[in-house]
Amino acid sequence: MKDKEIDEILKQTAQAPHDVDPTLLDRVANSIGSSLRPVRPLPPVWVLTGALILICVAVALGGAARAGFYGIQRMSDLERALIFPALGILVWLAASACVKEMIPGSRHRVASGTLLGTGCLSLLVVFAALFHDYRTVEFVSAGVVCLVVGLLIATPAALLSWLLLRRGFAVNPVAAGLAGGTLAGLAGVVMLELHCANFEALHIMVWHTAVIPVSAAIGALLAWRLGSRSVSGARGGAATDQTVAPPRG
Amino acid sequence: MNPDIDLEMLMARYQQGDLAAATALIHRLSPQLHRFFVVQFASRGDADDLLQETWLRIHKARHTYRSGEPVLPWFYAIARNIRVDHYRRTSRTMARELRLEETPEVQAAPQLESGCTPNLEALLAPLPESQREVIEMLKVAGMSLEEVARATSSSVGSVKQKAHRGYERLRERLNGMGLGKERTGGPS
Repeated sequence: MKDKEIDEILKQTAQAPHDVDPTLLDRVANSIGSSLRPVRPLPPVWVLTGALILICVAVALGGAARAGFYGIQRMSDLERALIFPALGILVWLAASACVKEMIPGSRHRVASGTLLGTGCLSLLVVFAALFHDYRTVEFVSAGVVCLVVGLLIATPAALLSWLLLRRGFAVNPVAAGLAGGTLAGLAGVVMLELHCANFEALHIMVWHTAVIPVSAAIGALLAWRLGSRSVSGARGGAATDQTVAPPRG
Repeated sequence: MNPDIDLEMLMARYQQGDLAAATALIHRLSPQLHRFFVVQFASRGDADDLLQETWLRIHKARHTYRSGEPVLPWFYAIARNIRVDHYRRTSRTMARELRLEETPEVQAAPQLESGCTPNLEALLAPLPESQREVIEMLKVAGMSLEEVARATSSSVGSVKQKAHRGYERLRERLNGMGLGKERTGGPS
């Protein structure tokens, strides 16, 4: 059997009338009509993406200005020329993914999980190519400080991003949380690269990069918890809706 | 008039608070959204509830539609979200049930009768959920590959792959029923 024949059978079966109870449609129209008023559509994707990038850069610069720009001052020109453009591209991709997760029916070029994986991997490659000091002086104690500072910077970035996108609608809350966490984590990494003057390869590769997956995991977890609650709440909501639109007879 | 542009216009008027446009959208899109739920093994009663819930969520999220973007992927993305929530709720309820006899009855997959033209639900029943929804959107709702990719938050390549695998299964099924032989022998 050829594809065209299957198409034909599907076409035939799809043409069979599929009616919906007209009273149900009237009930839906009535319940929507009672709260119908003009709404302001979301701004274009590029505006929201640009605003998210600005938030990330502003938070990272603010954090580094407060703590000191020791890292970028100690870097060579090559290090600056590779690290910051790489971070810039990742911030742009994460911001774009974040916006698209909040608009139903958007075109998804990169899945949130793929973005997180390839983002971390590409940063590891850049760091491994640039830093060759493999000593590990105070590896854990100095590393934990950087991880915590990175996450502290990620927090305001995440909150501001959420404020900007709060009118959106995430059809997959976990993916949206993952993308938001990745973006916030990147703000933390940008700040660490501006500030941290510890150029031990393993310190940067492990502790700086770790800010991104930890932040993404927190974002996904929070979104999953909120999503679970809204699903549980929807049961109550459905009951309330039924008072507006009475159940089927 | 191009039906997509027509839907876009109705959606824009709905966003401006036009009740007639909202009602027109409800009457125009509800049958296909309802069928989308029925094809995913929801009973007609469940599909009614899901449809009602979908419209309430569409109403809440109507500002997230941006004019110029395709309308159907936006509607279907929200409908999918409702279906996933429904699935989670049902699974949770079933997991919490202590006595088996009190668990909600799972609707049996519709059976095909050999020899006669099957109905859509029975035809798509043996396919996995992801393939079923892709074929339903492509062949029943008449969406393009790009639109299905948008609605399912996946890539065009992934949609093509699912549709191809779905067709392979349908081919086996239809050949098994003898429908293929009858049709292959007939005039093209």
